Amino acid sequence: MSNSHLFLKSGFPRAPLQNGLGRYVCQLQRITLKFCKNNGSSRGMRDFIENHLLDFAKENPGIVVYVKPRRHRTPVLVGEYLNGEREWMSCRNSTQEEISKWIDLLKTQNGSSSSLRLRKMWHTEVPSIQGPWTPFLLRSPDAQGQAYPSAEASKPLDTPQTATEKLIELFRQQQLEAGEEAHDVLNKKRAE
Amino acid sequence: MSFLAQTMRQMLRHVPNRSLLTAGAMRPLSISPVIGQQNKPATESVDLSAIAKDQQKECLSICERINRQVQKSEQGRLFAVVHLCGKQFKVTPGDIILVEGYWPPTIGDEISLDKVLLAGARDFTLVGRPILEPGLILVKATVVEKTLSHTKTHFRKKRRKQYMRINFQRSPHTMVRINSIELARPVDGNGEGESSSRRLF
Repeated sequence: MSNSHLFLKSGFPRAPLQNGLGRYVCQLQRITLKFCKNNGSSRGMRDFIENHLLDFAKENPGIVVYVKPRRHRTPVLVGEYLNGEREWMSCRNSTQEEISKWIDLLKTQNGSSSSLRLRKMWHTEVPSIQGPWTPFLLRSPDAQGQAYPSAEASKPLDTPQTATEKLIELFRQQQLEAGEEAHDVLNKKRAE
Repeated sequence: MSFLAQTMRQMLRHVPNRSLLTAGAMRPLSISPVIGQQNKPATESVDLSAIAKDQQKECLSICERINRQVQKSEQGRLFAVVHLCGKQFKVTPGDIILVEGYWPPTIGDEISLDKVLLAGARDFTLVGRPILEPGLILVKATVVEKTLSHTKTHFRKKRRKQYMRINFQRSPHTMVRINSIELARPVDGNGEGESSSRRLF
């Protein structure tokens, strides 16, 4: 089992130089394709250079492309970025499609990404706009002046009504209704 | 103070509990508030309609205040909760968010995030149910980077069974920069009805 992740650097998402706030700037500046003209391990790279390299260079005028033949060495891709980072990638025995995929990756990233474990998927300069939440937010100010221990404040909020309380309430209602009736009777008599 | 701009139906629902809510506000934390427990159906229909009118008036005045503030551009920095690729992000202009997994937009693409669940400023909050009506809030973003994550090791082993597998994987990551969040048009209290046909989900 590999223990490489134990020593991996960790960090937070950052974009270099406020990239994307105004216009977007491609971070890849140079790409070097090294290959051998007759070795079999460079066959995919040779195919890529023959078929797709010119299209790639035309589509990306901001990227300088170097092609470097060298005898009996494995094919290699090297990308150089605006932040000075350099990513080296061996393309031994890889096919044309694989190479175009890796070149696309080199083009779209901001620097070598393989060495950083991200701790967050979000970065902000302004963490809170309405103010951070506190337990006293949107609470009545009466709670500040509450004297403890207080019997009322220490009761749970969701106690169901007991049978006794229900009975008392019913009795009070009846009394109220009776009172109203008595009032009505009184009013009628007064009217008379 | 934050004024909650709500639509009429929502306000109506809170009407009978208004007094209880303020009474319970000072109480300590509890699992379920008083509101749910002692909720009795209001029998007087006449009273309800009067209260509804009051609520409508209040809602309109809140919307008016929001619109006035936006008109004078005194609202300050806006923030929004957007739904993007199955996750929700709280964003404000200048933020960076990362989308995990395969996602087609490429570098330099300028996109607008349409599923806005909530938007707010210093003095007001607009809450969607579940999303705000499309076109009310414009969230613009730029795709800044598409890359792969660090190599994750996936290791499985069963003891005493001669079984061991080790896999390595890197998932695609897309970095998105939020450019701007804007209120596209003035807020109206009852925009819910017309938008129901254009619902995203």
